[in-house]
Amino acid sequence: MKGNSLRLRLLAGAAIAIFLALTLAWAGISWLFHQHVERREAAELTKLAEQVVAGLTLNSAGKPVVDPPPSDPRFQPIAGGSYWQASSAAGSVQSQSLWDQSLPLVAAGTDDWSHATVRGPYGKHLTMVSRRVRPDARRIDVAVRVGSDDSEMRSALREFDRVLALSLALLWLVLSIAAYIQVSLGLRPLDRLRRDLDRLRRSPSARLPAHHPHEVQPVIEAINAMASAREADLARARRRAADLAHSLKTPLAVVAAQSRRAREAGADGAAESIDRAVEAVGAALEAELARSRAAAARGSGGESAPLAITEGLVAVVERTERGETIAFSVDITPDLRAPVDATDLAEMLGALIENAARHARRQVRVSGFRDGERLVLRVEDDGPGMDEGAIEGATQRGVRIDETGSGHGLGLAIVRDLAEATEGDFRLERAPLGGLAAELRWTLA
Amino acid sequence: MRALLVEDDPDLADDVARALGAAGFVVDRCSDGEEAWFQGDVEDYAVAVLDLGLPRLDGLSVLRRWRSASRTMPVLILTARGDWTEKVEGIDAGADDYMAKPFATGELIARVRALVRRASGHASALLTIGDLAIDTARMSAAISGRQVQLSQLEFRLLNFLAHQQDRIVAAGEIAEHLYGASDGSDTNAVEAIVTRLRRKLGSHAIETRRGLGYLLTGRTE
Repeated sequence: MKGNSLRLRLLAGAAIAIFLALTLAWAGISWLFHQHVERREAAELTKLAEQVVAGLTLNSAGKPVVDPPPSDPRFQPIAGGSYWQASSAAGSVQSQSLWDQSLPLVAAGTDDWSHATVRGPYGKHLTMVSRRVRPDARRIDVAVRVGSDDSEMRSALREFDRVLALSLALLWLVLSIAAYIQVSLGLRPLDRLRRDLDRLRRSPSARLPAHHPHEVQPVIEAINAMASAREADLARARRRAADLAHSLKTPLAVVAAQSRRAREAGADGAAESIDRAVEAVGAALEAELARSRAAAARGSGGESAPLAITEGLVAVVERTERGETIAFSVDITPDLRAPVDATDLAEMLGALIENAARHARRQVRVSGFRDGERLVLRVEDDGPGMDEGAIEGATQRGVRIDETGSGHGLGLAIVRDLAEATEGDFRLERAPLGGLAAELRWTLA
Repeated sequence: MRALLVEDDPDLADDVARALGAAGFVVDRCSDGEEAWFQGDVEDYAVAVLDLGLPRLDGLSVLRRWRSASRTMPVLILTARGDWTEKVEGIDAGADDYMAKPFATGELIARVRALVRRASGHASALLTIGDLAIDTARMSAAISGRQVQLSQLEFRLLNFLAHQQDRIVAAGEIAEHLYGASDGSDTNAVEAIVTRLRRKLGSHAIETRRGLGYLLTGRTE
């Protein structure tokens, strides 16, 4: 795909958006979970702290005494990770685990337990709850603190964050793949559109089908409108070319007449060059007309009766100098219908019958029948036939009418082009009569 | 001999008229369809040369009107379109020959001469066999009064059989008459012509005697 690719743009957009959303989700989930775990820890410590407060009294000097001390065994081992301490201005009492250290003093209220993370003894971080209480009427403040080493909890939280990040990264990958599939599916109609456009380019009469998603419908309509305009332009240009060719024929006949006059006046050389020029222009006009006829036949549809058309054509060819010495036989199923416009079928069969008459010795046979789903029309003669190379040259696609020169090849090239334009098949082979057999086939709907 | 030339292009008309004049015709010229229709309807011509693309009334309509008014002079049509449908329409309308533009004037004159010769060369002779009438001058036939268009070859075969007076004629003999020197394969061509004649005249007009040849009966049933 090129730099300016819709697919790439959509994919990059989706990947970045998903990444940002997941990062935000990670931060949010992590923060909420940390909060939750810390609150749980604080609630746990508050319970222990209330045991301390339950046994708290002040001696006469105002020093706090906790009796009985909290029974929790975690307060026993020295530097065990769980500590309590109650201190007043006159001194303090603490758990055995605290040994010779003390818990840091933080500003604490008197009405509820507050919790904080503090740097505690033995270089450890602690979660600590603290509160100021007044055990008796002397209004002496005692600061009660209970803390516990939270490094295990911290590492568990870090582990949680890591696993969460990993699973979210996985989720990002899955969502990106889903986005890729979505984009591909979403852009598939564009691929179809491209194929349809390709067909449109090849055939001016084709239109884009209506089964595209309605988001691209306006584009389809615009393209179809443009194709119609182009087809109309093309048709107009062809009509003009055909009109021009027709209108040139009469003046050309006048010029041709001049050659006879020149010859009468003894200017044989001039007459000859006029004849050659007239012949060249005439051939070019015929080729142009044949091309416009083939173009008009493309996709024009129609239906015709081969038998009636053939009888008419034979009647014409029988009147030519060559045709009047030839025996024509017509053997076409009477109700046979060809899926081709009558004018186009007359052009094809006319050229084939004339060509057959020109090369026949005695006979030309035209036959037509239905072969399964196909219509077959055959024109055969008993002449010398054509060799393989000539057959190939006459039926080869892509050889233009005007490249085959005038005469023999021109007629067959016209037939080939018209057959192609009407989705028919044209082939030449050796006839059972001995000469050439030309066959036209169409698939019947 | 008088010839009618109908062509709206003055240069082309000049030239064809001059060539027809040189060939011994007295030429009348028209440049539009209605004038041509009138002229051909009221005057007698040995031949008419008719362009199809005419102002006011097109050439095919002119030809049809002539023929429906029983004007039988041979007509050669000139077409600019030159496609087969137009040629077929022209022959259907009653034309005897056609030429597509541009054409060589010399060939046009040769064809006109051939048309005139065909139409008036022989004294009219009518042969009758059964329901079949053969006009040897106009090279046409009628069966039970219905006029039938025949090709040159069909006419020659029919005419040959008509002159055999109830004799069964072998296909080889017919081929020899039609083609001069002939070989065995030409009998296929004879069979093809007979098939076409039967289609035009009815299947009983020419009978096949197996192993012997053909017999012209001229019967309609």
